[in-house]
Amino acid sequence: MRLVTGQGYWSPLVWLALAAGVALLAWAFWSRGQRTYKAGTEQDLPFLSGERAPEGAHVRAPHLYWGFAQALRPVMDWLKAFHSGFLGDYVTWTVILLAVALLVVVLT
Amino acid sequence: MTIGMHAPILAIAVPLLGAFALPVLAKVHRSLRDLWAIAVGAFTCAMVITVAVQAFTSGIQVYTLGAASPTDTIASGGFPIRIMLVVDGMSAFMGLISALVGLASLIYAFHFLKEEQGKTLAMTLFFLLWAGMLGMEYTGDMFNFFVFLEVTSIAACALVGYRTWESRPAEAAFKTMAMYTVGGLLVLLAIGILYGEHGALNLAYLSSRIAGSQLDKIALGLLLGGLLMKAGAVPAHMWAPDAYGEAPAQAAIVLVANTQASLYGLWRVLFTLFAGALSAPAVGWLVTSLGVLTLLVAVLMAVIQTDLGRLIAYGAVSQIGYMLLGVGVGLTVLSSRPDFGLVAMQGGIFHMMNDAATIGLLFLAAGVVKRAVGTRDLRALGGLGHDLKWTGGFFFLGAMALAGIPPLNGFASKLLIYESSFRLSPILTAIAVLGSILLLAVFARAFQGAFLGPRLREAKPASLSMLIAMGVLAAVILAMGLVPDFFVEHLVTPAAEALWRGRDLYLAAVLGG
Repeated sequence: MRLVTGQGYWSPLVWLALAAGVALLAWAFWSRGQRTYKAGTEQDLPFLSGERAPEGAHVRAPHLYWGFAQALRPVMDWLKAFHSGFLGDYVTWTVILLAVALLVVVLT
Repeated sequence: MTIGMHAPILAIAVPLLGAFALPVLAKVHRSLRDLWAIAVGAFTCAMVITVAVQAFTSGIQVYTLGAASPTDTIASGGFPIRIMLVVDGMSAFMGLISALVGLASLIYAFHFLKEEQGKTLAMTLFFLLWAGMLGMEYTGDMFNFFVFLEVTSIAACALVGYRTWESRPAEAAFKTMAMYTVGGLLVLLAIGILYGEHGALNLAYLSSRIAGSQLDKIALGLLLGGLLMKAGAVPAHMWAPDAYGEAPAQAAIVLVANTQASLYGLWRVLFTLFAGALSAPAVGWLVTSLGVLTLLVAVLMAVIQTDLGRLIAYGAVSQIGYMLLGVGVGLTVLSSRPDFGLVAMQGGIFHMMNDAATIGLLFLAAGVVKRAVGTRDLRALGGLGHDLKWTGGFFFLGAMALAGIPPLNGFASKLLIYESSFRLSPILTAIAVLGSILLLAVFARAFQGAFLGPRLREAKPASLSMLIAMGVLAAVILAMGLVPDFFVEHLVTPAAEALWRGRDLYLAAVLGG
């Protein structure tokens, strides 16, 4: 029940057993903590960046990694320009790929 | 003669016949059409499995059309001139992927497609595409490879754009059609050069004749350009997100398998047709470099997508990068370092099946989302997990598998790729791992945005057939994740060996000796 990878092996069952052990350990720590949580109280309310969120507030997908996307903005802008949506660009890049492939094959 | 002997041709002919008979039967009665579709789907899967069992247990299966016996490969002049199907471990493996994806797509389509929105047309095109894919994977001659390539191109473009009441699918279909035409012409030109030089179209015969002349090399370059474009390799990948993103879910999943059929064509060209004549390290490095570029560019583009369909589409393109990386590393060290070269190829080939199941599952889940709330825009989605519990679970499973989280199947194949590519260059592994981390971030964002949070609107639940289709793929993902050694030993290794060291056996099966 193990996959030989050349450098070692991978056994999902061993991993699951270890994961179960870690989960058990985590549960053991958790079960010894304070029992102050009460369901249905204001403890259940969402709490965003130090401010109480309005009813039905939801952190939508584009909000995640906003900073990451901003930091990589120059790269992202270049990539967006690269994916122009123009068919002529699609064909041009295919021709470039073809030229590279031909060069590699013919010159080696 | 048993039906098993004719299984290779039946696996192609039955869905082809099924496609053309389907609209006629739909005119008689819809339930007759549905029964026909189920029968054709079940029979095709049975034939593909039969072929695979025969190929894995008895060796290469050869089926000659128009001969007194299907095993008569050589005509009276001592020349393999007839149309021939040749199924080795790699072809059989690809057939199984096509069967799995086709089955899931068919089950899903029954309740996903609406009668008034071209259900009969979509199912007809699906069977045509299925037949073309199996033809590409089983054929033993280059011209029929081109014919089946065109069959898949026409059916795929039509499947992307048949919903003519919307503008975006039509635009995506047009772009896909133009790019497929360019790719098809490159492949046809290469076949024409080989035919002009060697006077043959049979793949095994051509392989025995190709000696590495300048014309041979030009043909190889053209085949590389055409097939890499059809496989969706960067920088010629831009049609793929358009096509996958706009196609309905049941079609998008088959388009992914169709892309893999082109990738199979590339493997066949590199490892069988030109094995004796190409500079393997140079071409291997080309394929490896394109693989790394593909996975990185596609995953970065996925980060900024706001449409769930296009996000998954870029995820699908990134997976092509991992396959190119694995098999590219194998090709690079084909003769010098077979110890880790075979592991790299096993990783790349195993990832093909993993990708078909995981990306397929994600596309089907995205289809449920679109059907449930009418949009796939992540800026408008949220809280769908309240109403679409099973779909949310399936999406989560597919996302984690795609990102390579243990103990799921994506981890097993990526581990093989990481370890072997590390032996060639640690930089390759670093970029591949970075790609997986970004994929995890992208799909965590998609899952959180679509399925978590408060309920924003009522969602229409998925029908039973759609859940069954997703359940089939989820079961395959779990099975391949929990017992990867079984799949690698019985399916992946014979496929990798067929490419790695199987050329002589392939030639002997067709040409004798």
